[in-house]
Amino acid sequence: MSHPDFTVDIAQNEYLPEGGDDVNAIVTVTSPDTMSAAPAPDEGSAEIIIVDCSGSMRSPQTKIAEARAATAAAIDVIHDGVAFAVIAGTHEAHPVFPHDGTLAVADATTRQYAKQAVAGLMPRGGTAIGQWLRLALSMFTAYPASLRHAILLTDGRNEHESPEQLSAAISMCEGVFSCDCRGVGTDWEVAELRRISSALLGSVDIVPDPSGLAADFAAMMQTAMGKQVADVSLRVWTPQHATVRFVKQVAPVVEDLTGRKTQSGPQAGDYPTGAWGAAESRDYHVRVQVTPAAVGQEMLAARVSLVTVTDSGPEVLGQGLVRAIWTDDEALSTRINPNVAHYTGQAELAQVIQEGLEARKQGDEETATSKLGRAVALAEQSGNEGTARLLAKVVDVVDAATGTVRLKKKVDDADEMALDTRSTKTVRTRK
Amino acid sequence: MTGDAGGAGDPAPGPSAVCPSCGWPVGSQDNFCEACRTELAPAVVSGTSPQAATTCPFCQSDQITPDGYCGSCGRKPPASRDHTEIDLGLVAGVTDRGLRHHRNEDAMALATAEATSGPVAVAVVCDGVSTTRRPDEASLAAAQAAVEVLLDAARTGHDLAESSRNAVSAAREAVIRLDDHPGDSPLLDPPSATFVSAVMTSEAVTLCWLGDSRGYWLGAGPGFAAERLTVDDSVAGEMVAAGLLSETEALALPQAHVVTGWVGPDLGGAAPHVVRFEPPGPGVLLLCSDGLWNYQPEAAKLAELAMPGALTGPLAAAGALVEFALKSGGMDNVTVVLAPFPPRTAGPVKEHAATAPFSLRADPEETQA
Repeated sequence: MSHPDFTVDIAQNEYLPEGGDDVNAIVTVTSPDTMSAAPAPDEGSAEIIIVDCSGSMRSPQTKIAEARAATAAAIDVIHDGVAFAVIAGTHEAHPVFPHDGTLAVADATTRQYAKQAVAGLMPRGGTAIGQWLRLALSMFTAYPASLRHAILLTDGRNEHESPEQLSAAISMCEGVFSCDCRGVGTDWEVAELRRISSALLGSVDIVPDPSGLAADFAAMMQTAMGKQVADVSLRVWTPQHATVRFVKQVAPVVEDLTGRKTQSGPQAGDYPTGAWGAAESRDYHVRVQVTPAAVGQEMLAARVSLVTVTDSGPEVLGQGLVRAIWTDDEALSTRINPNVAHYTGQAELAQVIQEGLEARKQGDEETATSKLGRAVALAEQSGNEGTARLLAKVVDVVDAATGTVRLKKKVDDADEMALDTRSTKTVRTRK
Repeated sequence: MTGDAGGAGDPAPGPSAVCPSCGWPVGSQDNFCEACRTELAPAVVSGTSPQAATTCPFCQSDQITPDGYCGSCGRKPPASRDHTEIDLGLVAGVTDRGLRHHRNEDAMALATAEATSGPVAVAVVCDGVSTTRRPDEASLAAAQAAVEVLLDAARTGHDLAESSRNAVSAAREAVIRLDDHPGDSPLLDPPSATFVSAVMTSEAVTLCWLGDSRGYWLGAGPGFAAERLTVDDSVAGEMVAAGLLSETEALALPQAHVVTGWVGPDLGGAAPHVVRFEPPGPGVLLLCSDGLWNYQPEAAKLAELAMPGALTGPLAAAGALVEFALKSGGMDNVTVVLAPFPPRTAGPVKEHAATAPFSLRADPEETQA
């Protein structure tokens, strides 16, 4: 199946001073409004909903009830023809629907049976998320689908297996399916879920109040149903003797992909971006170190292609060029591209929030104040109002422009966790 | 890389020539084939027929990508636009990237025509303003659009002063059309280029310009009487014109080369300068970008460099002037166009000339024979 072209736009200052070797570019990838002439490949998609059924889901009582309702809401959104299943997670993992651990093909009847099965979910036992992922993995791999996606809901920490067991499970699942993670309440670990969602190219968020689950689940499933091209990679070709310093997704959220590289050629590496739906747009910051050439010379510092693997081999969906031109005109070489500057700030914003919250947890108030103050200033400068609002629940802002803040004495757990999980959310440059 | 500009090496239609399109016999005075209306002597624009390199000159890799980069070291092997030579006999030009710029943002367009009054030489030189968006495309588009207007006027005998202004308007429209790329950097100004054109008949030269690309007259008379024919639209040019500074003092200003006139969208209807120059005798018209005159602004000195060779071998003389600019530092793109006066039509061209430029001008007698 051939796909229509994605657009790949490059924003950079291609001019380097004499001897300059640091090339930065923001790569904006946008998928076409209509993805394919063929109808959406529902028969090639598989969905698994993993619901935490540990004992803690009982308190408050509404938690399990809302989780059942949310799962049912998500099931209602699954398109006909999509293979799906529901897993109940405790210190073990059990297939809830279908009972035999296979995937069912969605239609009115199977959706009805699935919802009946979900209505009977009862909380009992502990939490071993690695077990849940392993069961999902074995169910996914037994079914031929190109788009595999899971939703994982938990309300607590991964207490009934070692961190190593979880890590091992995550790496087994990497590249097989994507996973959006949700934490309900405030007893779960942000870093733990972020590790899963990061590795499995999904989102992570907090749902502080169980009553918000149903809408969130339906929306997540809706987005998943819109995905049409699976396993898209950013292929970065660089010249001989050049080094890729990093490849980061910077919008809609910051996600460092540098360590996720797989070599795809003697001078090229692939960085996974997951599945794409129609009219999606994401930004990536690519930073390459090159060997300087003489003033007046031009070099291709990186060729950034969007690649998907089809039955007939790799298909290039779009391409952009990152260039380097050496000049002795300082007016040209000292310009900082506004997009590069903006996203450098957004990446720092995410980092200082996470570091600031960690320092706060450790009781290092001085570091926490300085980091979160810097975050307030960065959010203000870049117009990231969402993050600014979340920060204001954790610190008292004295002066946003200079980042002068005081730590709040009493902070709601949910507010702190919301700031942490959403710290990587960026805004685009103001046009 | 002579002759890589499309059509530069095509023989001019001699007395026994036939139309390249339909084979109908055409005369040396014909601008169009009488049978099929094919344009027999179209304008030639620098760098419009890129020839891809096959081996990287930097690392010797033979993997050159279709978009012109080396597949191994990433460097960009020189494109044809980096150095182009065009020789139309009546007028010849050389444009070069220079030594310090990564691409050639100068462009030239040359043409010849047969008017009832005799042969006419047409030349346009444009220099893309480097602090603007896509200056290389701006200069090319401007030169290309302008030369068509001037060539038509030369053929039809339309008023040359008016046509020169029309040519600037056409150039401006072509440049404005370039600026519809929303992805372009908002930090840079819209595409712009300097402009100088000349139409040379056997009576006079009609010059038209905006910016700091120049026209000079290099006389063939005693002592090589030479003079500059244009006044720069630049900070330095305006200082000198206002009598505030000498040229040397003005050129020493840091902002000396900031142009104050150009072809582009943001100078509205800025009026180009138009001058009709009647040469006092035989000589050569020189059009050039600042890449040349930066190293030698004096008309008399330029004449010493170019004459008398330019009278009979304008291409070789233009090449020598470009070489002079490169040897002097080559800080900028450099373009040199030379047209000997009075214009005399080249004679029939021998078969083998199809692969070589007109480096020899035929004797006038032979033309009349």
